[in-house]
Amino acid sequence: MNIPLSHVLAVATALFVIGGAMAAARRSILMILIGVEFMLAAGSLAFVGAALAWGNVSGQAAVILIMGLASAEAALGLALLVHGRRGGGTVDADSYDRLGGDA
Amino acid sequence: MTTLVALMLLFPLAGAILQAALSRSLSRPASGALAALAIAGSLAAAVAAVWNLGVTPHELHFGQWLAFDGFSAQFSILYNRLAGLMTVTVTFVALLIHLYSAVYMREDKSFARYFCYLNLFVFFMLVIALADDLVFLFMGWEGVGFCSFALIGFWHEELPNVDAGRKAFLMTRVGDLGYVAALAILIAASGSASLSGLTAGIDAMPTATATLIGFLFLFAACGKSAQLPLSSWLPDAMAGPTPVSALIHAATMVTAGVYLLMRLEPLLAIAPDVGATAAVIGAATALYGAACAMGQRDVKRILAYSTISQVGYMFLAAGCGDVSGAFFHLQAHAFFKSLLFMVAGVMIQAFHEEHDIFRMGARLRKALPGLFILFACGAAALAALPLTSGYFSKGRTLADAVAHPGPAYLLAFVLGIVAAFVTALYVFRLFFVAFFADPADPAKLVSEPELSRMERPLWPLAALALVYGFVNPPEFLGLKPWLDAYLAGTVTPVPPEVAHAEFFVEFLDACLALAGLGLAWLLYRPAVRPAPAPAGVLTAGLGLDAFYRKWIAVPYCRLTTHLWRGVDEDVLDGAAAAAASGIAGLSRFVAHFGSARPSTTITTLLGAVAALLTWLALRLT
Repeated sequence: MNIPLSHVLAVATALFVIGGAMAAARRSILMILIGVEFMLAAGSLAFVGAALAWGNVSGQAAVILIMGLASAEAALGLALLVHGRRGGGTVDADSYDRLGGDA
Repeated sequence: MTTLVALMLLFPLAGAILQAALSRSLSRPASGALAALAIAGSLAAAVAAVWNLGVTPHELHFGQWLAFDGFSAQFSILYNRLAGLMTVTVTFVALLIHLYSAVYMREDKSFARYFCYLNLFVFFMLVIALADDLVFLFMGWEGVGFCSFALIGFWHEELPNVDAGRKAFLMTRVGDLGYVAALAILIAASGSASLSGLTAGIDAMPTATATLIGFLFLFAACGKSAQLPLSSWLPDAMAGPTPVSALIHAATMVTAGVYLLMRLEPLLAIAPDVGATAAVIGAATALYGAACAMGQRDVKRILAYSTISQVGYMFLAAGCGDVSGAFFHLQAHAFFKSLLFMVAGVMIQAFHEEHDIFRMGARLRKALPGLFILFACGAAALAALPLTSGYFSKGRTLADAVAHPGPAYLLAFVLGIVAAFVTALYVFRLFFVAFFADPADPAKLVSEPELSRMERPLWPLAALALVYGFVNPPEFLGLKPWLDAYLAGTVTPVPPEVAHAEFFVEFLDACLALAGLGLAWLLYRPAVRPAPAPAGVLTAGLGLDAFYRKWIAVPYCRLTTHLWRGVDEDVLDGAAAAAASGIAGLSRFVAHFGSARPSTTITTLLGAVAALLTWLALRLT
């Protein structure tokens, strides 16, 4: 184990923040989905780093779960994107506000 | 005894309820007869109850109506000889007033309402006269206040009458503040609010507490009895029907304050300052009322100021601790003042609602000679001509003041003596001007058979006004003082100094009364064609009303306007509005975080998670 856990966690944090900032700042649903993928990847990285540091395999098993989750999320997100694009002709997330009532 | 006392109270109450319930279906004579019957029943019960009453008081309980935290208010009665005589006096005078009213109100459209209030008034007055529990007494106290409000403003279609009723209500309410405060202190100090409990525990009460309670009760009594400084409601109370004035002034509400002081005699005995104050207030009021009566032209207002003045004498006697003397004057005054008021009512109706004595004159005496004799009897008693009831009773109150050492009582005596002279003067001014003069601008005299019918109930009062004094003659006459002997076991006996002083005082009083009569003849005899007093300080009640208006009413109005516009609308409403708009702004700001836009939602989520994690990290380290 050459890399200390703290470095791995620092990279994971950076990835998570970048992903979060991207999801918050971008308007396009595609870019928001990519941001969310970044955040999931950051979580996975933290799990892998921790599994390595403590020699425990269950961290790596969690990554497999996250991958499954990420693929489901990507599939659902892309389906929404296609549906929205067909219905309203836009990929701008701010226009998907019909569930928000009057606010 | 319990049954009799209960009946005494229930008759007028039932009468009032019946009048209220049957007001639509009762005819005018039936309504009057029912009301008079209720009072007659009450009088019968009062006489039967007092018939064999011993020296020991009866304490009766009709139940409890309010209890908390160790204190309880009872419907309890302290029936002793004083209360017995008081109830007989009240019901007797009230019965005659009811009989008179039945004729007097012959043309009034709301007679059932009138008799309902009148019966209710008597009921509440009997509560005052009988109650042992001071909270129960307060119920009667407020009850007569309400009834006087309703009766003074009885002709409510004209605004001045309503204003007079309101003024009476508010000014007596100012006095009631003293009652409530005294009640609160009394309950806090002794845990009970009954007169018998107060008498039993009087030795354990510190003088300072007793003095404070005494002063507060004195203030309340001043309000009810129209003594200085709370006297200005009473002349305006003349707006009501004349029998009401007779009832309020003679035996009921106005004397309630004095009666309260009489009932509180054990308390006053250990608080001599209160007694001295009451004596000085009473004497000053006697002079004040007499002086104001000199300036009036309205016959009822003269009599109203006269009541203020005479009740002042009762305060003087009660302040000197002479309960039987004060009660003696109360009874004598009840007889001659109700007589005078009811005669004034006939005079007013004889001239078709003319109140001004300077428009009456000798024609009245010739048209209604019976009325003239009645008035002469009342006037003689009020002016304290020798051997009338007013002579003995007023002399007794002045002798009380002489017999007490101390400058306060001396001052009270001097004021009282001067007032006695002025009293004779204004009474005979009224007498000569209204019955002998030849007015320049006479009012039209009407002749109706009802006028002489109204005179009938007044004859017993006239007889009592003349001879009632011999119930309690002064010692130098060598007759037995029945009233003193009867009350001797109930109240503190009269000290011998009073009896010694009486000869001197009665002599002086007789001289003053005759001097007043003589001076009045010189000033107001028919040949002089007396001119009415010009409007001035005396006419306006020595400026007491103007004083209240200028120094209390106007600043109060200004303060309320300031509080309404400045404080309420600007500060309080402004603060409420500002707080509301602030919260609205804040909520708009917060709503921004929860909008449907994914970017803000995610930002909020991330920010919240970051804050939560930071907080957790700080806690864990």
